[in-house]
Amino acid sequence: MFIPGMLFLGACCCQEDVVVAPEVIAPPSVELGDIFFDYDKSELRAEATQQLQKNFDWMKQNVTGTLIVEGHCDERGTNEYNMALGERRANAAKDYMVNIGADPARMQAVSFGEERPFALGHDEASWAQNRRAHFVGQGGAAPAAAPAPEAK
Amino acid sequence: MTTCGMNSGISKGIVTAVLLLWCLFLSPFLLHAEEQGEYIAIRKQGGGKIALVLDRASAKGGKESEWAKELDKTVKDGLIFSNLFSILPPPSNVRAGSDGKMGGVNFGALSSVGAEVYAGGAVSKKGGKVNLDMEVYDTFGTKLLLKKSYSGKEDQLRSMGHAFCADLIELLTGKKSYFGSKIVFVSNKSGSKEVYQCDFDGQGVQQITSLRSISLTPVLSPDGRYLAYTSYTSGRPTLYIKNLADNKISSVAKNGVSVDPSWRNGSEVATTLSFEGDQEIYLVRPDGGITRRLTNSKGIDVSPTFSADGRQMAFVSSRNGLPQIFIQDMQSGLTRRLTYSGRYNTQPSWSPSGNKIAYTTWEKTGEINIFVINADGSGLKRLTSGARENESPSWSPDGSMIVFTSNRQGGKKLYVMSSNGENQRRLLQVDGDQMQPSWSLFR
Repeated sequence: MFIPGMLFLGACCCQEDVVVAPEVIAPPSVELGDIFFDYDKSELRAEATQQLQKNFDWMKQNVTGTLIVEGHCDERGTNEYNMALGERRANAAKDYMVNIGADPARMQAVSFGEERPFALGHDEASWAQNRRAHFVGQGGAAPAAAPAPEAK
Repeated sequence: MTTCGMNSGISKGIVTAVLLLWCLFLSPFLLHAEEQGEYIAIRKQGGGKIALVLDRASAKGGKESEWAKELDKTVKDGLIFSNLFSILPPPSNVRAGSDGKMGGVNFGALSSVGAEVYAGGAVSKKGGKVNLDMEVYDTFGTKLLLKKSYSGKEDQLRSMGHAFCADLIELLTGKKSYFGSKIVFVSNKSGSKEVYQCDFDGQGVQQITSLRSISLTPVLSPDGRYLAYTSYTSGRPTLYIKNLADNKISSVAKNGVSVDPSWRNGSEVATTLSFEGDQEIYLVRPDGGITRRLTNSKGIDVSPTFSADGRQMAFVSSRNGLPQIFIQDMQSGLTRRLTYSGRYNTQPSWSPSGNKIAYTTWEKTGEINIFVINADGSGLKRLTSGARENESPSWSPDGSMIVFTSNRQGGKKLYVMSSNGENQRRLLQVDGDQMQPSWSLFR
């Protein structure tokens, strides 16, 4: 029962792939990417604006897609203050994208403070990766966005 | 140090004279006040402990002796927890009779071991209930200070013992204690951060939320009817206020962040909201409606805490750059900076019994330490040091103790200490990390 069912499903998917694939591949796919912040700062770094432009391109390609902009902090400092700092980072990213033309109604900023670190080390290399805005795309004909890292 | 611990063999008259002189010329350690027949020992801050002989409760045997044994342990543990007493073993001849009846108290024997206060009692069964008759004596004045009976069911021994502890401490210090208080906190024991509570001494741990989300910064209302906390159940950090009697939950239906609530005067909650763009502190009713905005500055304003009369609010602001603690007058709105020492100061907690504010400093050494400062900026004192990260101070309802988080032994665990930083010890043994403790105002 089980195995034939799986085979049938697999066959279905293959068939669909064959029909749909050419349309999806047509535009060069744009990947969503994180941006990073200095210690205790929510101001955008110069190189961050290039990635935000790419993330805006993703929105243009996926016209029905929405973005969750997650603001994160490193583990240092205190949780409550970092909840506010994370929100300022998410808002800084969102505001920049709105300024270059993104629809604010398709974006939601959410702070995770220091609750969801990406790197689990206790050194500057890890902290630098954790002071970030992370973008989660939902809906649209999107290339699958990287899932949010799990809390440890 | 206590004088009385060193008094063995000195005559009662000399001891009394020494005490009297101390009362008159130095900061008084003990003060006998004949106020409404009460005896009040006023202890100076950081003063010595009260030398107490805690006698075993007498009982006839069988069940009654079992109860007596449990009550003895509850009372002793409760009094040790307070850190107010130096508990001395009872001299063998302290009571004339020991056959389940209380004989006269042998004050000579008590004085010879340096006791200032004697407490003893008897356990019996009365009308199907456990009955505890307690007596407390001033051993120098050979005077009965307290005679009180406590009654309850077999499963209420703990609260009976604590009722006596509370009476004894109020009698000797003039302050209501905390034996009925609760501590709420966050733990990731189940795999996600949930809200838990325990008794003042870490006993009776209970899980309050089972949201399988991220739940943070719980705080009980002063009457214990409501629990305010932040949770991600909606996908973003939202403030919830839960009525613990009927489990009804209200929330603040605004966009943006909502973090770190604090009760003001028992009737409203202050919290940080950002629906107007910037992170500002607002007052919110228990039904979730917004009363008014309290802060107005560019940058983060977070972590409000109020003086007992609700007239002043301490909070964290990044208006000058890195976070510092400020105090705002609630009526005039005038705001002044409180902390100038340390570049990163957060997590203020205003003592319910006075003008002291505990907070944490992230120090150059990498340690996070708890400090206490007077509301006028004087009297800065470091309470923790040399023990990694110490965070989230919260005062006991009588202001005598502080519960906090520390990772000094590895994971984040809850600790308690006296308000002067003495006697730091683990509060409870629970798996996983524990954090963000908040001690109730009810006691």
